[in-house]
Amino acid sequence: MIELHAVSKAYFAKGIRKQVFDGLTFTFPANRNVALLGPNGAGKSTLLRLISGAESPDTGRIVRRASLSWPLGFSGGFNGSMTGIENIRFVARTYGADSDEVVDHVAEFSELGTSLRLPVKTYSTGMRSRLAFSMSLAINFDYYLIDEILGVGDASFRKKSNVALREKLPHSRLIMASHSMSHVRELCDCGLLLSPDGIWFFDNVEDLINAYARLH
Amino acid sequence: MRSATISDSWRALAALQMRVAASLILRETRATFGTSHLGYLWAIITPVASIVLLTVIFTYAARHPPFGTSLALFFATGIIMLQLVLRLAESLMTAVEANRALLAYPPIKRTDVLFARAILIVLTYLVIAGVIYGGLIALGMATPPAHLEDVLFAFVAASLLGTGMGLINAMLLNRWDSWRRIAPILTKPLFFISGVFFVPDYLPPQIIEWLQWNPVLHAIEWTREGYYPGYESQVLDKTFLLLTSLILVFIGLAAERLTRRNGGL
Repeated sequence: MIELHAVSKAYFAKGIRKQVFDGLTFTFPANRNVALLGPNGAGKSTLLRLISGAESPDTGRIVRRASLSWPLGFSGGFNGSMTGIENIRFVARTYGADSDEVVDHVAEFSELGTSLRLPVKTYSTGMRSRLAFSMSLAINFDYYLIDEILGVGDASFRKKSNVALREKLPHSRLIMASHSMSHVRELCDCGLLLSPDGIWFFDNVEDLINAYARLH
Repeated sequence: MRSATISDSWRALAALQMRVAASLILRETRATFGTSHLGYLWAIITPVASIVLLTVIFTYAARHPPFGTSLALFFATGIIMLQLVLRLAESLMTAVEANRALLAYPPIKRTDVLFARAILIVLTYLVIAGVIYGGLIALGMATPPAHLEDVLFAFVAASLLGTGMGLINAMLLNRWDSWRRIAPILTKPLFFISGVFFVPDYLPPQIIEWLQWNPVLHAIEWTREGYYPGYESQVLDKTFLLLTSLILVFIGLAAERLTRRNGGL
């Protein structure tokens, strides 16, 4: 269960204040996969970081009674000077998973091979995303928070990650920001539309996508 | 029923905290010492070598030890404490910055990163102190400490002091990037005013009046009172040292709490 109670969040940059959320109250429907749609800067990534707990709201409260992944984005939380394997072990230990098991799992899924023994700073963006995605799949969560990471890598990796994600669906839920309508249709069954004018919940994916299309 | 769930969630939180601390300390160990076993040795060898070198220089520069029979022991009791404080102050300053990427994982907070590094440094210096005192005893240049518990208490107090300074440094660096250049300038005089190579009680009262506001001096005095059977310090004020250390830790943590939400991460 994930509930947001009167959550507000603003950012300051160079003296300019940007209010991203102002008193947002929302309960994520249980047993649904929720898409987050909206133009760039509408707050999709911020919402995922708030839900995950990586950031705290300025005011308001977020209640989580479930295990949540970290927000899975392109850059990922990698320490560049640590090797791929060290990063995997670090995350596995932090989340209390069996490190050896997670390493094996990631090595197999990511197909990064010997690169896993190199510092992550030597990786290309594609390799980093593969590592991040494989790592989160290797640990079991009630909710996977996905920030645009689907659609990384080449066609075969994309296909593989879609399959792997769908295999999670019987026991795990997704909250997913995406610009790909095909991913949204495929994986989600409801969603939030975030726009500069407000935030709306849609119980049906097609209505959500239509409303998003009308924003432009 | 309700109390059971609360104690369960406390237990889960404690378990999470332990996991986070353990994985961060391990990661810090790797980052500081490298992955080879020799790396761990280097982390001990480098400070030991610098202390030995300073001791040798000091031994040749001065003829008589300011107290006791061993110049090396007198110098070691001072320099180990000073280095512990300075290392904590300097290293905690950049701990958040160095681990910024790992803060992307929600269970990991700034305080976890800071405490992991502090714990590692304190443990490393415990080994360093053991190696140096052990070496001096083996070489016949020192006897074992007269009151080990006082040496250890002084070590704990110095650890708190360095942690407090380090936390404040980290928070100041978060605000002003130039702090990384200012902090070492401010701590440099500590080498000369902390009693590393003199006995404060032998100085004129007008000087002591000023020097006694330096908490590091008290940590060193406490160590010497513990180590030497006949060292009785007039200037030593344990309450002042502990209070200053705790206040610095408190200020550091309060600053962390207050800057957490806006760009603090």
